[in-house]
Amino acid sequence: MTRAEFITRLRRGLSGLPATTIADIVADHEAHFADAQAAGRTEAEVAAALGDPDRLARELRAEAGLKQWEEKKTPSNAMAAIIALIGLGAIDVIFLLPLLMGVLATLFGFLVAVVTIFFVGGFIFAAGPLASPPGGPITAFLTGIGLMGVATFIGSLLTVVTVGVFNAVVWYARLHFRLLKPAMEQA
Amino acid sequence: MPETIEIQLKKGVLALCVLALLSHADSYAYEIASRLTRDIDMGEGTIYPLMRRMQSDGLVETYLVESQSGPPRKYYRLTAAGRESLAQQKAEWTAFATAVNNIVGAAA
Repeated sequence: MTRAEFITRLRRGLSGLPATTIADIVADHEAHFADAQAAGRTEAEVAAALGDPDRLARELRAEAGLKQWEEKKTPSNAMAAIIALIGLGAIDVIFLLPLLMGVLATLFGFLVAVVTIFFVGGFIFAAGPLASPPGGPITAFLTGIGLMGVATFIGSLLTVVTVGVFNAVVWYARLHFRLLKPAMEQA
Repeated sequence: MPETIEIQLKKGVLALCVLALLSHADSYAYEIASRLTRDIDMGEGTIYPLMRRMQSDGLVETYLVESQSGPPRKYYRLTAAGRESLAQQKAEWTAFATAVNNIVGAAA
């Protein structure tokens, strides 16, 4: 592989990252080729020593995605991290996917249940006292508040569990980086 | 896909090696990579992601030095946090290596 080919593939693989980041990474590798040339090495030799530019780009992008998730735990960052992981194309991630889908589906089911309980509680709270319920208006009022409280509590537990699941996935994914930071180093 | 224990070991100590090299003298990526490739047979491509991460973690910082040939060269130097991290990792490594040597030596 020539220097131009390596750089082109690296740049193409990195697309989606901020322009300054891409420029930085490309400049680093250009400098590497220049230094190697000054040391009397051929382009093909250096390209082989640097490794597969596509793989390198995928790992750099995955790392960027995971880092964002670690800094800000938002749903969009979670999505970005997942996409980056799938982009890594690790066989193990594919193997893991059914399991992960199961866990995510369960979490989603809980989320739906929590939201439903919250709204039912809200409805009983607001409309219950007016509908002359058994036990009187006060009971309906308190039942409504109670249901909403329970839903909020379970909801917050759910958030903690979801964040935990994602952190575990991120940790697992790092095991598959060949070039970047190994997961163990994090601990 | 099993990785050999050797690769995992090298990955683990790579950051420590880079910090140690930079503690002796500021350097640029090609020089660091050449040294590590020669001494511990690391893939050259590994150095750039590593330097990026160490920079974003605040362990190293960069400055440009004019070179006679070509564009200015990017040098790395340790920050205070980098020196601290080096001291800590060095202590961990020494303790670990000593323990392993004791076990391996004793078994022989």
